[in-house]
Amino acid sequence: MIATRVGAAALPAAVSVALRDHEPLAAYATASDVHYLFAGAGGLLDVGAAREDAIPALAATYPVFAWDEREMRDAHGVSFAGEPDTRPLFIGAAGAPAALTAEGEGVTLVVVGPVHAGIIEPGRFTFSTGGETVISLDAQLSYSRRGVEAFLAGQDAVAAAPRVARICGACSVARSWSYARALETLAGVACDERTEYARLVAAELERIYNHLFDLAQAAAGAGYGYSQTHLFGLKERANVLCAAAFGHRLLFDAIVPGGVGIGVLRDARATREAAAQLRADARREVRALLGNISVQRRFEGAGVLPAETARAFGVVGPGRRASGGTLDVRALLPYGAYAALVPAVASDAACDVAARVRVKAAELDAAFDLIDRALAALGEHAPPAPRGVTPGRGATVTLTEGPRGAETLVVACDADGALERITVRSASARNWPAVVRAMEGNIVPDFPLVNKSFNLCYACADG
Amino acid sequence: MANPFAHALGIRHLVCGSCNGCEHELNALAGPAYDTSQQGWGIVASPRHADVVTVTGPMTTAMRAAAAATLAATAQPCVVVAIGDCAAGEGPWAGAPHAGTGAGIELDAAVTVRGCPPTPTAIAAGFAEAARRLR
Repeated sequence: MIATRVGAAALPAAVSVALRDHEPLAAYATASDVHYLFAGAGGLLDVGAAREDAIPALAATYPVFAWDEREMRDAHGVSFAGEPDTRPLFIGAAGAPAALTAEGEGVTLVVVGPVHAGIIEPGRFTFSTGGETVISLDAQLSYSRRGVEAFLAGQDAVAAAPRVARICGACSVARSWSYARALETLAGVACDERTEYARLVAAELERIYNHLFDLAQAAAGAGYGYSQTHLFGLKERANVLCAAAFGHRLLFDAIVPGGVGIGVLRDARATREAAAQLRADARREVRALLGNISVQRRFEGAGVLPAETARAFGVVGPGRRASGGTLDVRALLPYGAYAALVPAVASDAACDVAARVRVKAAELDAAFDLIDRALAALGEHAPPAPRGVTPGRGATVTLTEGPRGAETLVVACDADGALERITVRSASARNWPAVVRAMEGNIVPDFPLVNKSFNLCYACADG
Repeated sequence: MANPFAHALGIRHLVCGSCNGCEHELNALAGPAYDTSQQGWGIVASPRHADVVTVTGPMTTAMRAAAAATLAATAQPCVVVAIGDCAAGEGPWAGAPHAGTGAGIELDAAVTVRGCPPTPTAIAAGFAEAARRLR
């Protein structure tokens, strides 16, 4: 990682230069500094400045940092000047902050949440509508905020791994992998090839069960029960496969510091055969979804996220790649077995629900391909038990490509191997402000369709 | 022997700071593979229709008021079923600064299903127990 330090007044200029050839990842605060993180083909770039009063708010120019700067202000007491949004990010003792709404004659507000009608995480969505059309949408999250970063600080870093795996259930593997890589970096150890292949299998299984769920939900959003039922049935089979291969239906603790869980992938051949059968069935059901013209017409033109908006908001994952982007951490900054098994990056220029469905369909099949190649490389040899990891004093940034995009962690340990601090910047937190923008001009009844085409998590975004 | 599945259930779900793991498993149970419609179990969109309110998560400070309002809106009798170790008060976030003592404990759950997350089958056993209590 390249780290540059500037005076706070020079931050806007330094960030502007960084953004010329880097993707924005996150902004975060420590007790003494603020940091703006970027990723490029050459690696990570950290632009840091000492904390002082009235740091120029970059969110005014670069909306990608809007939520991060509000978090830095509310959770870490950073003082900014020129903030575009002075409302609290989190729900406090006074309740949720007022929603930002459109004003004018004929504007009607539709408020849903925080409790939703289905089996969905909590959030308050305030639609400003003119007739059926959404003029603007305000998303108030943080209802699931447990305070994970403050809670983890001070804990033994290795012993905290099961908690890190449970910050969010639907991107557990990606975060566990980022965390394991961080502790291994601080300990100065590397894992063997078999472990890295096994980790890749876990990460791609997580992508598979999530993408199958997302595709089923997209079908549901268009009212197409056939694909919803069949793809959701396949998602269940993927979870059964996860349990058989890694001992947990949602792959919790599949990746641990120093390796993978004990006893995983004991029968790699059976896993490979089951994955091949699931792949064949998934191909058939994805064809049925993509081949249904009336459903595709519902997807086309819905929830458009223009390429320039996706870039300005720092959108990651399939949402970015469906808006003409190619950002994929596995290809940009290969880690583990991705250095040998480089995935083809799916990209689509249509920017709508249809494009996001196509990107996820392509990534689903590519994930099966990666698993097949990794298990072939692994052969009959189960990965070894995890090696001991004793992280030394220091800080590091790690990121992996989860089902929703870059899962970034900043981990700092003290000399005793305890967490000095951990900063969680999830793909979902990155993408939520863009989902809001993708709803503008759509109709309220299409919110489930547009929202589920991203299918972001709340728990990892809330912390 | 009495049929343990003799009571149809309208089930309303309330997330109180869960990681979404329990939601994946509850969704799985409500999906095509487990076919719970044969038991007469269905997820309902309003607390007014609920025989059972399922709760997950440690309870967060931000959700406490909305959770109380949801339970207050249910028709009686209504059984609260706590799903998962967090709701039982012994999950990974017990003791976190904005976490409570467990959604199931704070909301007086009559039935608790342990697990992180519990499997769909384990959740189904919790629903069967809720149905037994409602008979």
